[in-house]
Amino acid sequence: MSGRYLGRKLVQAMVTVFAIILLNFVLFRLMPGSPDRATKNPHLTAAVIEGNRARWGLDKPLFPDQLVNYVEETLTGDLGYSIKYRGQPVTEVVLEAMGPTLLLIGLGELIAIIVGLALGARSGWVRGGKVDRIGNGVSLIFYSMPYFVIGMPLIIIFAAGLHWFPTSGMTSPGGSKDLVASLFDVGRHLVLPLAAVSLGLIGAYSILMRASIIETRAEDYVMTARAKGLADGRILRAHAFPNALLPMVTLIAINLGYVVAGAITAEIVFTWPGLGTLTVQALAARDYPLLQAIFLIIAVSVVLANLAADIIYSYLDPRVRS
Amino acid sequence: MRSFQRRRGAGLLAMLAFTGSVILVGVAGPVAAADPVILTVGTTQDLDASNPFNTELVVGYEAFALTYSLLVDFDKDAHPAPGFADSWERSADRVTFKIGSDRKWSDGQPATSEDVCYSWGLALAAIKDESYIGSGYLDPGVKDAGVTKIECPDPNTFIAYTTDPSDRVFQVYVPILPKHIWGKDDYKKIAEETFDAPLVGTGPYTLAEWKTGQFARFVRNPNWWGAGKGFEDEVVLRFFADNTDTMVQALKAGELDYAHGVNSDQFKQLQADTATYTTVAGAANGWTQLAFNTYGTGTGKTIKNGGASTKALQDAAFRDALGYATDHQALVDRVLGGFGDPGDTVVPPVLTDFHVTPDNPRTFNIDLAKQKLDAAGYKLDANNKRLDKEGKPINLRLYYPNTDDNYKKVAQFVAEWYGQLGIGVTHQSFDSDTLTALLLPPEGDGTAKYDIELWGWSGSPDPNGLLYVFLCNQIGTSSDSNYCNKQYDDLYAKESKEGGAERKATLAQMQNLIYNEAPYDVLYYDANLDAYRNDRFAGWQNMPANGTPFFTYGTLNYTLLTDATAVPTPGPTVLATAGPSGPAATQGPVTGGTSGGGGNTTLWIVLVVAVIVIVGGWWLYRRRTAPAAEEE
Repeated sequence: MSGRYLGRKLVQAMVTVFAIILLNFVLFRLMPGSPDRATKNPHLTAAVIEGNRARWGLDKPLFPDQLVNYVEETLTGDLGYSIKYRGQPVTEVVLEAMGPTLLLIGLGELIAIIVGLALGARSGWVRGGKVDRIGNGVSLIFYSMPYFVIGMPLIIIFAAGLHWFPTSGMTSPGGSKDLVASLFDVGRHLVLPLAAVSLGLIGAYSILMRASIIETRAEDYVMTARAKGLADGRILRAHAFPNALLPMVTLIAINLGYVVAGAITAEIVFTWPGLGTLTVQALAARDYPLLQAIFLIIAVSVVLANLAADIIYSYLDPRVRS
Repeated sequence: MRSFQRRRGAGLLAMLAFTGSVILVGVAGPVAAADPVILTVGTTQDLDASNPFNTELVVGYEAFALTYSLLVDFDKDAHPAPGFADSWERSADRVTFKIGSDRKWSDGQPATSEDVCYSWGLALAAIKDESYIGSGYLDPGVKDAGVTKIECPDPNTFIAYTTDPSDRVFQVYVPILPKHIWGKDDYKKIAEETFDAPLVGTGPYTLAEWKTGQFARFVRNPNWWGAGKGFEDEVVLRFFADNTDTMVQALKAGELDYAHGVNSDQFKQLQADTATYTTVAGAANGWTQLAFNTYGTGTGKTIKNGGASTKALQDAAFRDALGYATDHQALVDRVLGGFGDPGDTVVPPVLTDFHVTPDNPRTFNIDLAKQKLDAAGYKLDANNKRLDKEGKPINLRLYYPNTDDNYKKVAQFVAEWYGQLGIGVTHQSFDSDTLTALLLPPEGDGTAKYDIELWGWSGSPDPNGLLYVFLCNQIGTSSDSNYCNKQYDDLYAKESKEGGAERKATLAQMQNLIYNEAPYDVLYYDANLDAYRNDRFAGWQNMPANGTPFFTYGTLNYTLLTDATAVPTPGPTVLATAGPSGPAATQGPVTGGTSGGGGNTTLWIVLVVAVIVIVGGWWLYRRRTAPAAEEE
């Protein structure tokens, strides 16, 4: 891969990130309402509200004061203080929520990628076979279902009905200090949300992989491999599968970029304390600093994931570089 | 290549094995031996701060009230009861509180009047600076109580000097903080503290752990000196942010003992299983109202390019007539699902000591409303449109916030009823902030371009928390009717200095004045829909009698709970408050299902539906794909 190609992509990514920072500032100030009104405390006098505005820097003009201040602080890693979670720095609040999201959505993506790709490859390879009919049908059903539609029956059956797993949350109150016991505890809480997220994601991977394999199956090199007398399974694994993976790189990269965003509905249904839930809370409170931080992280991670996809793609397919 | 594939295959297997083991571990999770007795309470709010001065949510009040005592607590009827102070003596200009000599904080340090002087001193310092502490919700209570000076002559005595002999000093909701921990903080610094767990308090339970977005855990205070001692060793508040569905499932699963704020459908479902659950429709301290834009009443002021669309709204006779055209009971039945009470005066019935029903109540009667409008000079034109005194057809703009789906339903009913009078209504929703800005008159830098606002208020233990919104000086801040009446202002000033029966009489006069003048049409008093399980804890008590056990004033009920399994036969559950069918409905035993019956029924329904969907989908898919497969 040429250095020029890499350099061009890096510059593009940096420009995009800076544009996002600016857009991020404008976007939330276009929203109706303002944080100083969000408190709605009837006891506060006009003077007190004005003092509040000064405290949050809302008394200064949007441009240039608030904008310059915001860009400066963002570039130095200072994301300010949360308005909703009073007194807590935004970075602390966001980092606390990021771990659970990475665990849930990251693991969900991983399972979905493994199962989805395997299912899609098998479905496409033996088109019309049993695996295809069942697998593709199930994939389509789950692909079209929002997380809460998948999640609520899981809660009703496995938590409220069978009592196998907790309905929601991530840890039990008063959890043990023992690491193994803590892992067990998180594991118990993780099962149902993980199942919902994985089921929701498997469909997308499976359907695309199936189409890609079907296309690859007709390629000359597959025919050649057959002519050479290679075993069917070997042709799929060694020849068709790696080539069919190419379009998947984009999908995986984009999805991985959204890992940090969490799956808002899945997190809400299972009251999983991740970034998705935090986003909803921050929106309700018009918590500008928190919203800006969340959206910045999501946007930057998507840009980085796309950059990674570009680089991986150029490795896998030399035509892209030219 | 082959070996690489094998390694990859082994890796895949290992990963699946890991995932599988997580799941298996999940199923067979360990159960700790000799677990403490935990009372778990679910709510749809997410705790925003453990610093009492910074919370803005009901759940925040519940959390700090568990940890920190109030100087004067609330008894089961929400009347003053011993809290941090054991007793008190009221004289004309002061109250002398006595604190027991052997009192201790949860860390063993002595709890004395110095702690009260520190905590109330924070509020007084903020008031002196015309400022506030944190969110500014707690400290104004000290000002409203007329407290001018405080003294701590000895460790067991605290004296509060007041401007008048009123009882509001006993309802100050300022938590008593440990001076030995926070003493160095002034009122500004204390608002910046994060109050990280574990906290030291004098409440029945103290905050031991807070996981943002998940739960807050409170452990028993070994030095709690209150009368009762709850059966539970720990209290856990679990947060289900805007997610009643999962909260109800958690209640059914037995993860929760109490659920606060279920919706009316869930409430009815739980109500059907009286063996397992007790449901409580507790009267809320607030209402939902139509507020008429009366700007100019009592002041004669006008707004250039703003204000109401007709002067008729300034006419009490016009507003009174409209009051006959809203069917409050129908709104309770059809909008609230039967949970709540029809509204009348501006002190909710939950404040039993102060609420009065109107002397001249209005009843729903469209024909009477028409007659009253005719009599007041608002005639119909040839097109059956009601005209104001300037000869203009009356078309009213009704605005409401988009925070509650019920508002839209109410607006549709009101438009229909007013339409029968020949009065047009256009209704529209706004986000809360936009609506607040829209309502403000020139005194609040706005133009008050609306006719009717549909919204609600919730109050404090003292009726002044709601009555102040009708004062002339609230125009431009809290007033959403822009109502001004000197007679009302005088009565407010008078009752604020009164106590006992004298005050009650004045409050009754004020409630009737507002009812007759009708700047508001109080449509209904909302209900808090809560439910709790019967299998683990007994001794539940509604506070006050028409309220709910938790999320009310004080924390008495946490100290009253007993072991339900110790009771030989749990008796029939009793609904202590108004059921869906009307007031004072008590419900006897109902032949409910067995324990967990409701949950199992739902489970079976879901399983059956899932099987039907899968089999049906499979069959359809086979039909669609079969010919293609054959061709291939």
